[in-house]
Amino acid sequence: MEKNDDKDPDHNDQSKGEEKGDVVSNTHPPDESDGKENVDVGNAETEQDPGDNVDSQGEEIQQTLESLSEELDQLLSSLSLHKEEHKDDTEEKGEADADYFQIPQFVGKFLDLLEDKLSKYDSGDPKTVWYQDQEEVSSLLEAVDRVSKLMGLLLNTKSCLDHHEPLINHAGSIQQRAMAFLEDEFRLLLEESVIKETTLATDDQQDHQNDAVVSQDQDQVTVQESGDQEIEYPGYSEEMVVLLRKIAEKMKAGGYGWECREVYLVGRRNILMRTLKHDCEFEKVSIDEVQKMSWGELEREIPIWTKTFKDCSSRFFPGELKLAEKIFPGDDGSLFCIITHGLTIQFLGFAEAVAMTKRSTEKLFKILDIYETLRDSFPSMEELFPEDLRSELRNEVTSARSRLGETAIHIFSDLENSIKSDSSKTPVPGGAVHPLTRYTMNYLKYSCEYKDTLEQVFKSHSKMEQEEEGTNSSACSAFASQLMRIMDLLDGNMEAKSKLYKDIPLSCIFMMNNGRYIVQKIKGSAEIHEVMGDTWCRKRSSELRNYHKSYQRETWGKLLGFLGHEGLMHNGKIVKPNLKERFKSFNATFDEIHKTQTTWVINDEQLQSELRVSITAVMIPAYRAFMARFGQYLDPGRQTEKYVKYQPEDIEDLIDELFEGNTSSSSAATAKRRT
Amino acid sequence: MRPAQDNQGSFLGRISIRRNQFTDVNTEQEQEDLELFQKHIADRFTELLSPPPQPPSDETDSVASVAATEQIMSVTWLRKLMDVFLCCEAEFKAILLMGRDPTQISKPPFDRLVPEMLDRSIKALDICTAVVNGIDSVRHYQRLAEIAVAALEQRPLGDGNVRRAKRALANLLIALSLEDKENVTGGNKAIERSWSFGRRGGGSSAASKGGATIGQLKSSSWAVGRNWSAAKQIHAMTTNLTPPRGNEAAGLPLPMFIMSTVTVFVMWVLTAAVPCQERAGLANHLPVPKHLNWAQSLVGIHEKIGDEWKKKEKKGSAGLMEEMTRMEKLGHSLIEFADGFHYPAEKEAAESAAAQVAEMAEICRRMEEELVPLQQQIREVFHRIVRSRAEILEVLEQAGKLSAPVV
Repeated sequence: MEKNDDKDPDHNDQSKGEEKGDVVSNTHPPDESDGKENVDVGNAETEQDPGDNVDSQGEEIQQTLESLSEELDQLLSSLSLHKEEHKDDTEEKGEADADYFQIPQFVGKFLDLLEDKLSKYDSGDPKTVWYQDQEEVSSLLEAVDRVSKLMGLLLNTKSCLDHHEPLINHAGSIQQRAMAFLEDEFRLLLEESVIKETTLATDDQQDHQNDAVVSQDQDQVTVQESGDQEIEYPGYSEEMVVLLRKIAEKMKAGGYGWECREVYLVGRRNILMRTLKHDCEFEKVSIDEVQKMSWGELEREIPIWTKTFKDCSSRFFPGELKLAEKIFPGDDGSLFCIITHGLTIQFLGFAEAVAMTKRSTEKLFKILDIYETLRDSFPSMEELFPEDLRSELRNEVTSARSRLGETAIHIFSDLENSIKSDSSKTPVPGGAVHPLTRYTMNYLKYSCEYKDTLEQVFKSHSKMEQEEEGTNSSACSAFASQLMRIMDLLDGNMEAKSKLYKDIPLSCIFMMNNGRYIVQKIKGSAEIHEVMGDTWCRKRSSELRNYHKSYQRETWGKLLGFLGHEGLMHNGKIVKPNLKERFKSFNATFDEIHKTQTTWVINDEQLQSELRVSITAVMIPAYRAFMARFGQYLDPGRQTEKYVKYQPEDIEDLIDELFEGNTSSSSAATAKRRT
Repeated sequence: MRPAQDNQGSFLGRISIRRNQFTDVNTEQEQEDLELFQKHIADRFTELLSPPPQPPSDETDSVASVAATEQIMSVTWLRKLMDVFLCCEAEFKAILLMGRDPTQISKPPFDRLVPEMLDRSIKALDICTAVVNGIDSVRHYQRLAEIAVAALEQRPLGDGNVRRAKRALANLLIALSLEDKENVTGGNKAIERSWSFGRRGGGSSAASKGGATIGQLKSSSWAVGRNWSAAKQIHAMTTNLTPPRGNEAAGLPLPMFIMSTVTVFVMWVLTAAVPCQERAGLANHLPVPKHLNWAQSLVGIHEKIGDEWKKKEKKGSAGLMEEMTRMEKLGHSLIEFADGFHYPAEKEAAESAAAQVAEMAEICRRMEEELVPLQQQIREVFHRIVRSRAEILEVLEQAGKLSAPVV
């Protein structure tokens, strides 16, 4: 916009105007009567000579920009008045003389002084860091402002264009030089103040560490540090921002706003990228590269991305927007967009890239991290952009989130498939918890830490399921039914696996182990428990009791059979050989049970003791009763020793050895008895 | 709320409806579709190679600018190219997926061809991103050129305006010539170079000389990734890209080959058109089959651009976009004008400069109008590729389920 500010469409015939200007200044001497001392500055300054100035302005050798400012201001206001008065004259070209405006000589002097000042700065004298001296700042900026006003008026006043073109050229030239100077300074300030800030930040940290060691006043240190963190980005002092804004204002007022904006854009973009690299270790990664990374590498990239995105949303982008608003008031976010838009697109590209990588179950949680970051941090980022870009970015984010969500859902169906297709034929030794159960349950437990996100993902991104089970999903959430489905599959798979055990009791133990593991996992995590519900848990527990019962029946029912009375008495008499046989069988069977079932495994301590207790509760009373009833018929001494291998206490002890998973316990029974 | 997905849903829905009919799809029909596809490809690229004559323009547009608008590599032309790509892609996807038994594209040779094609599409995505960033750079040039235009349009034209223009043009030309080469490999060199024009570095007043000072965008601000190279990616896209032979030449492998070729070609053009990370040897990497009917015009365009690229590559050029090339030319001659400028302006020089300024202004106007839409189109291409990839994978997934052994 501002580039057209000082362009006056009425006066673009420059070569003509210029000739005319010369003619006018030469052929209209009568005007000199207006001001005795005033020469046409146009001529005066083209042949300017410092000597002349000294001569003609005798006692005013010490003229300064300041001392001339007042006069110049007066001139500017009368020029502007003149312009107003003759606004309509422009069309009536004939009356050239009437609108002639005299430009006093001090204008040339003023321009010279400004040029001197700029030369002094340009000479690179390190002592004159102009912006550190408030007086210098206002002196320079006000002078620039006056030149811009002068230019504006000269270019927009027809009579001046006609008569003072050489002056206009001179003033324009000085103005350009001043603007170029300001542009350079603006860039340096933009860059340098930040560089200072980053070094300051690291210095601070070191100082703090030292402080901490010396004073041990850690509270204060952390408070200070977090305080610094708050105002850190973009890291200019208030004064610096004011100065930058002033420069930008002056450049814009003089029609050089574009240069200033461009310098700002380039500078800020570079600074932002540097900051992201420095603060977040963020570096751009191509989509192709993401596909080729090992999961280990990618797993490290994702938290960096997440942090960068969050920081951009909460600190860097708002900081950029605020800074642009402060330095270029009324910019309405257009600079901000140019600085951040491409980067935002890049961020989303990474999210898409991760969603595209080869799926594997381990990736779920990191994918959900990205999903959550987009969900939680994008809304505040979105707010920063103007309406049109906002909707564009929103679409991009929606797309990235869909992709991530679909991937997450796919991962679950992969999990389903892997459960379905896990058909390993080797039973787990001892009927212990199957690795698949462990894996699945831990996975589900972990995924339930993302429960709310997963609910959302399943609700908004599953396609096929929704159509197929539209009615079903209303009853319980899509994620819950997904979880149920996985549980059912796992159950089915375990039941199939339990058939691999030839021993029915062992397959019961296997089912109990796995069932118990599942129930414990669910009870141990509030999130997953909430999803599965109490009813489900109760149902599972009763299933477990059934397995318990049939184990009991299969293993111990047979043993109890030996303790029955039938067949031992004949006509009120004990049939001794039968009794001996009974004891022998009992002992042998018990030994066999002990031998095998000590190698069986029950991982859950509670289940283990429950089982032992229930076995003891069945066996010991029966054994005691049997002993009490029939023990007496064996001769004390050798015979008793031979057939009564175990006292009830021994049985109890041995039961307590069951399910320990001992692999070398073949002789444990005998060993135990002796101790 | 989820337009993309809804589309996809219904698309898949259609597939599943038609899946039952796949046995009915006769090969004759398929042959017809394939021929039509090739014909459309040929037609579209022929139109790109030699655009149909424009309707007589109204007076505001000069004849020259109308011709330039349609010229190969102009922004307008690039936008047409994007449209062509999107059309080809849509048609291709229909051929690949519609009414087809999903297991068909999971069997050999497709178990090799499809993954290769998907890998190419991944690489195309990065190129899209790089090009979108590159267009950001072009917009930077545009703004510099606009400054020069604004300065040189000032009347009366004085020393100040000319120096102002020169400063902007110097920045523009440095950007145009360094963006590709040094900005990437030795990122800082370009910046240092332009900084040395600066006031403090040189000690002398560069401001009054009109040196370039704005400074360049660092490579990091527009690059795609650390070691990413556009030329290498293009090359990688072509490595296993060979025309189908024998039996395969008549079936589905052919449109797959055609679409891949079109994709690589379009990406190659974009890469050559705008500043892009690491393009050394770009001209070598595009084996386009010359003898095939559908490829004639594509080859023609490729040769034209390739020649241009070889010429520019040595000098180091930001891109072959027609507007940029003209901008560079105009920049040089306007700098020449600025160097020879003495106030008051010499009439003849001023007039010819004014004409150049007007042309530059016209370029800027065109860029202002078309760069953002072009950027948006490339984003659209990006998303289309992402979506298609997902759809193809979805179908393969189904195929996997259908053919999976029952446990």
